[in-house]
Amino acid sequence: MKRRSFLKNTLATGAAAVAVNAGLLTPTTVLADWNKKAFNAKTTDEALNGVFGASNAADSGDIKLKAPAIAENGAVTPVTVDASGIDGVESIAIMASKNPMPLVCEYTFGAGAVGYVSTRIKMGQTMNVIAVVKAGGKLLKAQQEVKVTIGGCGG
Amino acid sequence: MAIKIRMRGKSQNGVAEVKALIKHPMESGVRMNKKTGKPYPAKYIDMVEVLVNGTKAVDAQWSGAVSANPYMAVMVKANAGDEVTVKLSDNTGETGSDSIKLK
Repeated sequence: MKRRSFLKNTLATGAAAVAVNAGLLTPTTVLADWNKKAFNAKTTDEALNGVFGASNAADSGDIKLKAPAIAENGAVTPVTVDASGIDGVESIAIMASKNPMPLVCEYTFGAGAVGYVSTRIKMGQTMNVIAVVKAGGKLLKAQQEVKVTIGGCGG
Repeated sequence: MAIKIRMRGKSQNGVAEVKALIKHPMESGVRMNKKTGKPYPAKYIDMVEVLVNGTKAVDAQWSGAVSANPYMAVMVKANAGDEVTVKLSDNTGETGSDSIKLK
């Protein structure tokens, strides 16, 4: 009886080990999973909850958000978020408030990085660009309206 | 086919701005093909990593709302001569990577 259960157990664990090796049971990935919940969110609050688990970001003047006041082509809106003046920046998320899926990108910083990101994003219409910075466990944000004049004929 | 990346980086006082230009369509999966009435299939870079001398410094996730042929600049703590690597993968499993020695 004992031997039987012993065999059973070893067989079961053996199978599990094989499954892990074959990549069937990926052990809860640390960083590597794309955050589907946050990126598919339809509102900025939902997206923030998906990324940080909270949506109550406080306005902060320490975040330097650089975006054009008027973007002639919304498909390439340059956005720079400079949070290097804040200590202990853990991550930065950039959102476009009225895009169908507001969350554009999310950066997580290790010890070897500075809280600074510059990129180009797509914007469908005139809306706010929101930068949310997580530093020392707190959420800070800055936002700016960008007028999008598609076709370049003024708005 | 690997994703093409062009990189540049210069260190000043122990901090380097690393710039990367990536050749990629960044198709969000939302844009409609007017002839067929169906959306173009999604193809966008979703995972980005920046490593300094093999140690991960920045870990980013992107959506299809990052512009086509993306430009990215980040700042890392590194000195001249350090090796900076950018690794990418898109939602179809295509990958790309490039490294440079900082000036």
